[in-house]
Amino acid sequence: MNGVANGHLGKRKRADVFFRVLATAAAAVVLLSLLLILGTILWKSVPALSLSMLTHTPKGGFYLGKEGGILNAILGSLYLAVGATVLAFLLSLPLALYLNLYKGRASKTAVWTRFFLDVLWGVPSIVYGVFGFVVMLALGLRASLLAGMLTVALLEFPIMCRAIDEVMRLVPLELKEASDSLGATRFETALKVMVRQCAPGILTGVLLAFGRGIGDAASVLFTAGFTDRIPSSLADPAATLPLAIFFQLGTPFPEVQQRAYASAAVLTLIILLISLAGRAMSRKVTRHVVR
Amino acid sequence: MNGPAPISIRDLSVFYGDLQVLKNINLDIPAKRITVIIGPSGCGKTTLLKSLNRLLDTAESVRVQGEVVLDGENIYDPRTEVTRIRKKMGLLSQKPQVLPMSIYENVAYGPKIHGLKSKKDLARRVEHYLKVAGLWDEVKDRLREPASSLSVGQQQRLCLARGLAVEPEIILGDEPTSALDPQSSQNVERRLIELKQEYTVVVVTHILRQARRVADYLAFLYLGELVEHGPAAEVFANPKDPRTRAYLTGEIS
Repeated sequence: MNGVANGHLGKRKRADVFFRVLATAAAAVVLLSLLLILGTILWKSVPALSLSMLTHTPKGGFYLGKEGGILNAILGSLYLAVGATVLAFLLSLPLALYLNLYKGRASKTAVWTRFFLDVLWGVPSIVYGVFGFVVMLALGLRASLLAGMLTVALLEFPIMCRAIDEVMRLVPLELKEASDSLGATRFETALKVMVRQCAPGILTGVLLAFGRGIGDAASVLFTAGFTDRIPSSLADPAATLPLAIFFQLGTPFPEVQQRAYASAAVLTLIILLISLAGRAMSRKVTRHVVR
Repeated sequence: MNGPAPISIRDLSVFYGDLQVLKNINLDIPAKRITVIIGPSGCGKTTLLKSLNRLLDTAESVRVQGEVVLDGENIYDPRTEVTRIRKKMGLLSQKPQVLPMSIYENVAYGPKIHGLKSKKDLARRVEHYLKVAGLWDEVKDRLREPASSLSVGQQQRLCLARGLAVEPEIILGDEPTSALDPQSSQNVERRLIELKQEYTVVVVTHILRQARRVADYLAFLYLGELVEHGPAAEVFANPKDPRTRAYLTGEIS
């Protein structure tokens, strides 16, 4: 009897140890690959980074010219991603509020809308690129900052909207009732209670989408074009960092390849800064959140 | 004996899907008295309370039949503006639910959305109702701090001040002390008794001793049916229905 119990306990302990090893190993693999990626980028690209790299556009063509830097791609990417994120936000926040305040959370409309957003989230970005391209041609536009912005906004929208929606679904019904029972309209409850309660989650959603948007190459490949110049209007084509990597790494010229490595470093840095800024801001916006 | 009834419930039935949770309720709630609705859990007390300020509107698949007449106006009339009805009633929920803003803004929220703009008037009103709720002395030096930093008992009094600040006629309490410690509960009870000088108070509770302490008028709900109602002293002393008697003696709960 005792022996049986001991044998059973031993088996449970072995299972426990086995799982602990598995979990630790998984964590180590993730952490190591992250460090490896960052390390590789830094090792390859820090030598390429210089002030003139950051403050000049390429000279003599981005594919062949051996002089100049990546300012065109840095500014192009920032314009494009900021514009796209603003557009996506203008769609995402109202839709998330609609799903959570104006429609019952479990209503058919809400369930189906969420399903479609999830499908859109999973659509590969090259497909958005193709879609943007087709629409662009139909409208008689050419590859431009505007067309790129609209396409990237479409790519960011489901990500941002579902991220905000998930946070809003956690808001207790009683909080809405508290606002309602004071005679607030839906809109007042949405703007003054929901948005404030969900501010940290909204911020996370926006930054998540921004990071996805600024790092995506496929969606801007046909829509934003690529150029040596800094765009001066929405109708101009715009260079972007991911495409700066894509186009310039493939040349036989080491000087041009340097620009690709520098672009990778800058892109990583921007995303890192965004995450840090998000953390810093998050502390501020959580102050009033009710738990 | 009682003043005019500002709330008349006429043939009120409420359905959640196919389930009827309130069955043909008829009840006049007297003004400037504390009316306590008692009954076992799941008997429809909270539903009845929420039907008074149309909070049931927000729930899915809820159907309401009948009338609730307030100041001569049926609040379920499609032409009735729901925000105006709700402004007439302050609600205290089971678990105090502060808004995600500062202590000051919590109280100022209601008056602000109803159009009070002057900062001076707002400040005066916030101070006044925090005093009425018995919270002013504890928070007067920390009005800009998040409301969620208060203790649960303080939060419930903040909710009271917030509800009063829109200057309602009626105070609704949905087991307003159930999340509070004994001392905070006593504090809230005392406020409610003070407030009946000026307000009509309707409180739902499952605590019989609390009902005895505060009730002027008593309504007993059982399985969605209004079994008995009348002046509290009479019902407590001499319940007419056997179910009321069984509940008051603790045979059913």
